[in-house]
Amino acid sequence: MGHQQNALHVKDLNVAVKTPKGMLPLVQNLHLELKPGKILGLAGESGSGKTVTCMALLQLLNPKTMSVKGSIQLHGRELTDLNQKKMRSVLGRDIGFIMQNPMNAFTPVYTIGNQFVETIRSHTVLTKKQAVDLAITSMEKMNLPEPSKLMKKYPFQLSGGMLQRVMIAISMCLRPSVVIADEPTTALDVTNQLQVLRELDRLRTECGTSILLISHDLGVISELADDVAVMRNGRIIETADVFQLFDHPKQEYTKQLLQARPALLLNDQLKRRVI
Amino acid sequence: MSLLEVKDVTHTYGSARSFLPIRRKETQVLSNVSLTVEQGMCMGLIGTSGAGKSTLGKVILGLEKPKKGQVLFQGEDLYTMTAAARRKMRRDLQVVFQDSYSSVNPRLTAEQIIGEPLDNYEKLSVSEQKRTVAQLLEMVGLHAEDMKKRPGQFSGGQLQRISIARSIALKPKMIVLDESVSSLDMVTQTNILHLLQELKNEYSLSYLFITHDIRAAYFISDAMIVMENGRIVETCYDKNDIFTSEQPKVKELVASILPEHPKDRTITGR
Repeated sequence: MGHQQNALHVKDLNVAVKTPKGMLPLVQNLHLELKPGKILGLAGESGSGKTVTCMALLQLLNPKTMSVKGSIQLHGRELTDLNQKKMRSVLGRDIGFIMQNPMNAFTPVYTIGNQFVETIRSHTVLTKKQAVDLAITSMEKMNLPEPSKLMKKYPFQLSGGMLQRVMIAISMCLRPSVVIADEPTTALDVTNQLQVLRELDRLRTECGTSILLISHDLGVISELADDVAVMRNGRIIETADVFQLFDHPKQEYTKQLLQARPALLLNDQLKRRVI
Repeated sequence: MSLLEVKDVTHTYGSARSFLPIRRKETQVLSNVSLTVEQGMCMGLIGTSGAGKSTLGKVILGLEKPKKGQVLFQGEDLYTMTAAARRKMRRDLQVVFQDSYSSVNPRLTAEQIIGEPLDNYEKLSVSEQKRTVAQLLEMVGLHAEDMKKRPGQFSGGQLQRISIARSIALKPKMIVLDESVSSLDMVTQTNILHLLQELKNEYSLSYLFITHDIRAAYFISDAMIVMENGRIVETCYDKNDIFTSEQPKVKELVASILPEHPKDRTITGR
């Protein structure tokens, strides 16, 4: 397959949940190809199955209540065959995960530094001091002010935007080749949103990371993604290059989605000032 | 007389009397804020998180007494008015919050939730009340059959519609919308914005639309105010003026608007 091998290749993914009335399908025949160093946007309304897909990719769904079928390949290595212990070593080191709500992603009872070092040390053989140094450098890279002070702070002492950047720093410090970002900016205000998107882009250019960017906001997708997959009712209905999708959407639903945003009716002169 | 007038409001947090003999640090969250909202007008209040938008919203709703300054609703001071006037004010001034799940009681049905303001103000017979609630539900794009459902059976967007139905039940003069659409997905957000627009035209409602999203504010507002660190840094009576403002904070906010098309993207990493 050579260098064109996909960073993440998902084939025929089916996710269903067990209910008293039988199996209820949530995701059907999902096919995704994430190319190395590229950003794939996954767009869709709430309830279309975006987050379930991402949980299935990370194998975080409870096998007792959910059934996951299909193939998930990370650089050609099949992930669905791995047992829980092996999967744990993949998560965090090979696949990074950025969650929607940074406030819920951290434990409020431990300091940032504590949680940062724990993540690093459970995947590497670094000493505590080396881990602290690595944490500080990766926070510096994320343009976080005074990282050594941040290490001693508790999650609730930081703002949402800052905490989200700390989370990106944690998920990036082990240089995973694939990052899954589930609505990374939805909980943030507009200025923080742009900053987080910039950091994600920097990761991609500096480390060659491939990113699966999940968002309901087509603004986020149009700002960052190279390719876009549109999801509806658990299926992917259209996949295209981002320019192709915005200029020539094939599906009626995609057109509706594109028109759904309140437009800023600017004349050209104003537009130039804004952009 | 303006519908709402905020005069020189200053507010601080963290100065609560403590029984411990330590001096607590005061944080000034609002400094000399003044604004007016006329009947039938939508005022967009924009700012990043921590700018004091929600505090101002609370002050305007009569939930947080400011340290200095006055809030006049229909010419009467919210914090000195008589109990009877206050009761009338409560009817004319309504609110819709961001988190719809926490603003409804999960143990009540939609009928009881929307019926609560009616119980308090209108003495309707059981069948009349039922008909009003059904009308309100239809008005916000839900069905009369949804009346018997409880909050857990609705999606976030549907529940936000229920909050809106509750707020318009008494035909108020003004609604404070505090980040009311921010937690919804793009499609639902636009639907709710259109709904709010229609209701505004129908009842000549006034809104105070608090948000960090200029795109949404631009869609619904007539005028816009930008806040930073508890101060109003820009007032645009014509909403288009926001794009030509020279104020650094406004420029920063305008520059963070995400593009409508990938050709306009500002991040060009490739």
